[in-house]
Amino acid sequence: MTATTSISGVEAATDTPPFITRGVRKLVLPNRLTVITKEVHDKPVVATMIWYRVGSRNEDLGQTGKSHFLEHMLFKGTDRYPKGVIDLTTQLNGGMNNAFTWLDFTAYYFSFAADRWQTALEIESSRMRNTTFAEGEFASEKQVVEEELRIGLDGPWEVLENEVWATAFRQHPYHFPTVGWLQDLESATAADMKAYYDRWYHPRNATLVIVGDFDTRDALARVEDLFGSIPDGPEPKPLQIVEPPQRGEKRVIVKKETPVERLLIGYHAPAVAHPDSYPLRVAEAVLSTGKSSRLYQRLVDQDKSITSVNASYHDHIDPSLFYFQAELKPGFELRQVELAIYDEIERVKHADLSTAELAKAKRLIEADLVLSNEEPLQQAMLLGQYETIAADERIPEGSRGFRYLDTMLDRINEVTVDEVASSARRYFTEDNRTVGYLVDDATGRAHPADAKEDDGGS
Amino acid sequence: MAVSRKAAAVRLNVERVVLPNGLVVLVSENHSTPSMSISAIVRAGSRFESDGEAGLASLAAELIEEGTTTRTSQQIAEAIDATGGHMMTFGDYQSSRLAVVSLSKDFNLGLDLASDLLMNAVFPDDKVRQQVDRRVAQLKSRLDVPRTQASDLFNEIVFKGTPQHRPAVGYEATVAAVSRPAVDQFYRRYYVSNNTVLAIAGDVDTRETVARVESALGKWPRTGGFVSPDVPCPRLGGEPVEKYATALKEQVNIFMGHVGIERKDPDYHALLVMDTILGSSPGFTSRIPRVLRDEQGLAYSTYANVTSSSGLDPGRFVAYIGTAPSNLDRARAGLRSEIERIVEGGVTQEELDTAKSYLTGSFVLRFQRNGQVAEFMLEAETYDLGFDYLEKYPELIRALTVEEVNRVTRKHIHPERLTTVVVGPVDDAGHVIKTEKEFYE
Repeated sequence: MTATTSISGVEAATDTPPFITRGVRKLVLPNRLTVITKEVHDKPVVATMIWYRVGSRNEDLGQTGKSHFLEHMLFKGTDRYPKGVIDLTTQLNGGMNNAFTWLDFTAYYFSFAADRWQTALEIESSRMRNTTFAEGEFASEKQVVEEELRIGLDGPWEVLENEVWATAFRQHPYHFPTVGWLQDLESATAADMKAYYDRWYHPRNATLVIVGDFDTRDALARVEDLFGSIPDGPEPKPLQIVEPPQRGEKRVIVKKETPVERLLIGYHAPAVAHPDSYPLRVAEAVLSTGKSSRLYQRLVDQDKSITSVNASYHDHIDPSLFYFQAELKPGFELRQVELAIYDEIERVKHADLSTAELAKAKRLIEADLVLSNEEPLQQAMLLGQYETIAADERIPEGSRGFRYLDTMLDRINEVTVDEVASSARRYFTEDNRTVGYLVDDATGRAHPADAKEDDGGS
Repeated sequence: MAVSRKAAAVRLNVERVVLPNGLVVLVSENHSTPSMSISAIVRAGSRFESDGEAGLASLAAELIEEGTTTRTSQQIAEAIDATGGHMMTFGDYQSSRLAVVSLSKDFNLGLDLASDLLMNAVFPDDKVRQQVDRRVAQLKSRLDVPRTQASDLFNEIVFKGTPQHRPAVGYEATVAAVSRPAVDQFYRRYYVSNNTVLAIAGDVDTRETVARVESALGKWPRTGGFVSPDVPCPRLGGEPVEKYATALKEQVNIFMGHVGIERKDPDYHALLVMDTILGSSPGFTSRIPRVLRDEQGLAYSTYANVTSSSGLDPGRFVAYIGTAPSNLDRARAGLRSEIERIVEGGVTQEELDTAKSYLTGSFVLRFQRNGQVAEFMLEAETYDLGFDYLEKYPELIRALTVEEVNRVTRKHIHPERLTTVVVGPVDDAGHVIKTEKEFYE
């Protein structure tokens, strides 16, 4: 055995950091580029990521979807890597690459065999400031992004999620779907995209993460060569949009032709590293991780009313939603399933968790940190994500940035049954929730050709 | 651009032991993380079902975790969840699977559970009923995804007359008719030691692991004279079909292709190169994504391949695109023209060199997680690849020539036999139904 992590539910902080942050080093270059390295030699592979702290959270009305569209444009050519050459270089070196954009960030990644991984650094240093935004490339890529958006429109969950988030957040930009609204995409120009790029893609707004089989000293020297001379860039204006407290339940119904109805209940919930976020994370595991979880036992095994259920609570820079999703079996009522979920939430509020259940939830969280992160790329994702989203000064210094992962398990292990109950009482309230129903719109089905005239009828 | 031509070496020590009862045990030890993966494969799947039983094998696979002679469904769930690990059981076309992923300190419990499920499942009546009802609903939900609907329809046509025409999850009517005795009978017939392979990868001690497996599964009796049933093999032939199915969605989903190859086909590696050049490389370097997505902007998702569905039986050669209804004709013509071009014009030396660099250089990326290592061991065992396949693979790829790739492309890919399936806002004749605008007006 090389490493053992504490997995007892009650043990205090261990002397060694958890496996995920063991051996991690952080350096900030003079131009404010943050560099995180984790040298591990057990697999001949290196994962390289770059994270920019910009996502749909930073977008404005009429200009949504830009962060994501920009991510696409970063594959369309730089001064040194003409169109197609980033992918071709990756392929010739037997690597893989991709990127993703979400509410708070845009991130790019490469995995390469260890003897050629620095290709990733060369590409990222070039496209940080030297993406070309050729007009012709822009037009065809816009169509690609629109197709991506259409896939979402055909996905029943995506449609319902968009509606619930847009309803729950009326001021904060978590209102916008990351892919954007179709009309905003259609009106976007290459110049808009370039301006957005010039605003956000700079060393001071970026974190470079390297995990795997490399030599740290060599790697840092190469990073300095390639990134050191890039100007730090403008100070990003801090975004201070606070969603006001919700005053009363919001309900939304989405009609879509579908054979199965779906339910989504979202509660406003605190931001990453907030003291209440830890008991809520335990509540998430108690309610929905594994077949012994409360919602599975209740809805799948006992009521037999659904095909699937889960609770999700993701860490974000700003307060977001703790949400519940259920897909119904035909013949069951949305309202009935909704009430059953409230019933289970009430039990948690009344502190009826056993110590064994609490310990199980903690173990699930702790084990997941190991089991979901065997691969260098997975580790790079986690380190980069927290360095990007947990940067706020309100977060204690020892838990800030990727250090969040140092202390997260300790915080989780300290959580008591009463804290789970009190945080459930604080956030899982009627006034704080938005409930979405996806119901079958049968109007189009009877006469597909006349769908337009059937609007509203049945 | 800088290119490294030599491939990083992948090293994997695999211990293969066959127990007296015929169970094959594969162990690969590594201590990168304090975790391990146990994967069992029972060589039985929907390919052994009759049409009327469609869904039976996958239901049996899911139901083995719903109770054994000594544990209730609830106790099984509690036991695995209490470790923080995960267990999954499921069935597909050619296999029934069980996987446990946990911290290595919980290996014994994981192995106990896995063994219990493989040997002693009891299929309580109420659990069978519950799972059947749930599956019926899941089947409705599944067809809510137009891409799945189109893929299923494509299989119905191309694999007509063989078990592969059916979805492994079955149909509503056949699933609803599945009974407890049928599930039990399937289990008793196929879940036997000499029809099972167990692969364990991760932070374990090889010798100790083999001993533990012997003690846990050595008592599983061998079934004398066990033979797998014969399965009708799909054949390329018949007239190509054009089929349109109406779904009022934002996109049309197009599948185009015909019957493909077995994994053991000697042309497999040359076709892997062809796939990489035609439609399945990373990013948008291969022809179909480059032309249809990157140049023409027709799609977010478009690809083609013949090797990825190859198995014990021939899989499918398939090209896919999802696009706005207004692009239907261009997209369909674009796929067809790229397929014709590679068959008629072949590949270039440069394309071949690039594909070789990619396939040999990226091989190492397929062995990063314990689950991937276990998966490789099962694949090597299933197709007699040999555990020295890691060394052989780069040589097999490097030895290929343009002539060889072109020869196998002409042999296996047939533009005149392409069946096309379109699902989306189209009528039976393939005319687009105008719904797109309505959505935004």
